[in-house]
Amino acid sequence: HSVCYNRNSIYHFIDRAEKPHTVCRQLNSTLWLNVGGRSIHSSAVCCKNRAARIRVGKGDRPVTYEQALHPHQIAHRKGWLSQHTSNLQGEDGAADRTVEDLFIRRLIYGTFHGCLADELVIKRRGNLLVICALMLQKLPPHKYYFLVGYTEELLSHFYKCPVKMEIQMLEEKSVYKYL
Amino acid sequence: MDDLRDPTERAYIQNYSIYFCVRPQKLYSLAQESGRTAAKYFINTYPKYFQKDFANPHIPCLMPETLELQVNEVSEAALIERIQLRKVKAAVDMYDQLLQAGTPVSLDLTNDLLDLISLYGDCDPARGDAPEQRTEEMVSLTLTSNNNAERIFNMMPERNRRSYGALIRGMVKHGAYSKAFNTYTDLLNNRLTGDVHIFNALISAAPEVREKYVEKWDLIVDLLKQMAEQKVKPTLLTFNAVLKALRRCGSLGRTQAFPVINEMKALGIATSAQGHTEILQDVLSEISGKSFTAQDPDDGIIKTQIHTFLLFTDSLCDIEQAYRVHSLLGVGENWKLLGDSYYQSIYYGRFFNLLCMMEHIDVVLKWYKELIPSLYYPNSQGMRDLLQALDTDNRLDLIPQIWKDIKRMGHDNKTELVEEMLSLMARENQIPEVQQSFADCALDVKALYTQTDRRVPLSWSAGSLSSITSILLAAERTQQAWEMLKLFKLANRVPESLMNQFLESVKASNNAQQAVELVQISASFCLSITPNLMERVQQEFDLTEEQRNTLSDLESSTAMSD
Repeated sequence: HSVCYNRNSIYHFIDRAEKPHTVCRQLNSTLWLNVGGRSIHSSAVCCKNRAARIRVGKGDRPVTYEQALHPHQIAHRKGWLSQHTSNLQGEDGAADRTVEDLFIRRLIYGTFHGCLADELVIKRRGNLLVICALMLQKLPPHKYYFLVGYTEELLSHFYKCPVKMEIQMLEEKSVYKYL
Repeated sequence: MDDLRDPTERAYIQNYSIYFCVRPQKLYSLAQESGRTAAKYFINTYPKYFQKDFANPHIPCLMPETLELQVNEVSEAALIERIQLRKVKAAVDMYDQLLQAGTPVSLDLTNDLLDLISLYGDCDPARGDAPEQRTEEMVSLTLTSNNNAERIFNMMPERNRRSYGALIRGMVKHGAYSKAFNTYTDLLNNRLTGDVHIFNALISAAPEVREKYVEKWDLIVDLLKQMAEQKVKPTLLTFNAVLKALRRCGSLGRTQAFPVINEMKALGIATSAQGHTEILQDVLSEISGKSFTAQDPDDGIIKTQIHTFLLFTDSLCDIEQAYRVHSLLGVGENWKLLGDSYYQSIYYGRFFNLLCMMEHIDVVLKWYKELIPSLYYPNSQGMRDLLQALDTDNRLDLIPQIWKDIKRMGHDNKTELVEEMLSLMARENQIPEVQQSFADCALDVKALYTQTDRRVPLSWSAGSLSSITSILLAAERTQQAWEMLKLFKLANRVPESLMNQFLESVKASNNAQQAVELVQISASFCLSITPNLMERVQQEFDLTEEQRNTLSDLESSTAMSD
């Protein structure tokens, strides 16, 4: 059969936004109890009433809109950071997409270190992976182009699908409120 | 994947103010290319991380390339592999090892090896592709560098036409022209015939081995005759080589070119623009140009360097022709003809130039909106053409908008352009709204001049200062106009022509004190117009006693200095 395998068969918006660094922490503390054997691996617990919520503090900490709104506001006042169709009925590959997303977020966080103004938005359209990033004007523009070319090529070869980055520049992080 | 990339891809990072000029754009595309090359380096150096194949169906261009040698024992397979991977030195070593071990190497394989050496001139090609640039090929190596090729050639037990061909083409490519001809004689002596590639190489080498134009042409004709004798059919490349060689033949080339073209047409060879451009540049014949452009929409063939057509239509100032050429770009794959961004900028520059000269301002503005900035970033000459066109059609009220574009494109540091714009604004008085917009624009320019954080600050000239002042006066911004006078002093320039204008504006406000100040300033500049001014002030204004005294003091001091 000549059907092309798409990891994102229908263009639809369904996902849960995960707060990346908390999930990363979970993956980090995975332990292999018996190397080469099968075992249970567990990670540190992050309760659902603490995940992705920034608690009110002294009032000196600037937070962006995305950080300020809590996860129950998704689909009410917030959108999704990661858009693919694996969570629809009858579609599979959700876990794979999630791991890919995390890898991409970490890669971009490190490649454009200190330049990201906000979380990445990752969209999948058919076979295409689109990474939308908001960047600060920390580097001269030709360095941004270099890094973008590099990341696109590297991720394309890594995931065997076309990867595009769409960048928008900001002068400084947009603060929604201070907590 | 490289060939399918979007051909209209341009710099896209938004909200970053410096993306309007043409040189940064080239810089950005080069930067992106080098990023891709860096990624490719990593992918090919550590292929084990990129082996997992998610794609179904398989996408071969996204897999890492195997650049390392797999086969290591001395065998023909190893030699084949090295040739395929373009490892010249390793291939030569393997060949030598094979010969030493006594294994006979087949003729075809030896020919492949010779081709490889000739192509790369005896050293390994650079790792990774260089980004798209207009740099020259690697500098032609000295004549001794073809030693490996010649050595292997001499060692071969039997040689066929292909071996000779490889050697000759390699020699021509790397500059050993006379050697190439010697090898060709060798070929003939061995009772072999040349093929079309050999002849093409020899024809392109012909101008180098003879001094006089006549001799060069004779050699080329001789080669062509031999080609006919040996029943080798000439191809497009042959004719291109002939025409290129003719360029080196000066005036003789021009006369010979037409018969060549006719023969090409007779042979029905799909003509390439490469061939024709040589002629057009030399001959500038209108007839051939017209007939050519008529053919192309029907053929839709791939040509090269269409901008040279525009070059010659420019010289004829033929706007219809230019439009036709421009529409040709929309046919099929002709957009590729424009070449890289350098040639594109030349093409669009000339096109815009022609438009500004010949067309009505509305048409010019329509094209302006279309071309700029998506296709073309005009240089300061282009902007001056545009200002000229505005002047011709009396649309000077559009100047403030154009000024905004000039600033965005980074041409605001070009003093001639700015001064020309200012003088156009200052030349005549306009209706009040336009005058106000001119005044705002002038103040903007003034701010630009007085900025101290620029790397190369603009320097005031008398022209720019007076223009700005007269614009401000005409817009009745007297306060700012007076401030300009101070700038005159700072910049050591003299406001000759402005005094009368100032007097008019002062009369309008009937401010006697200012009138006296004006005379004082005029005296401090030692202007010749001072006595005249003084008279006028004394007559036309009601002056107080004190003011009269000041004036008479001035009068006496200027009289003394005269």
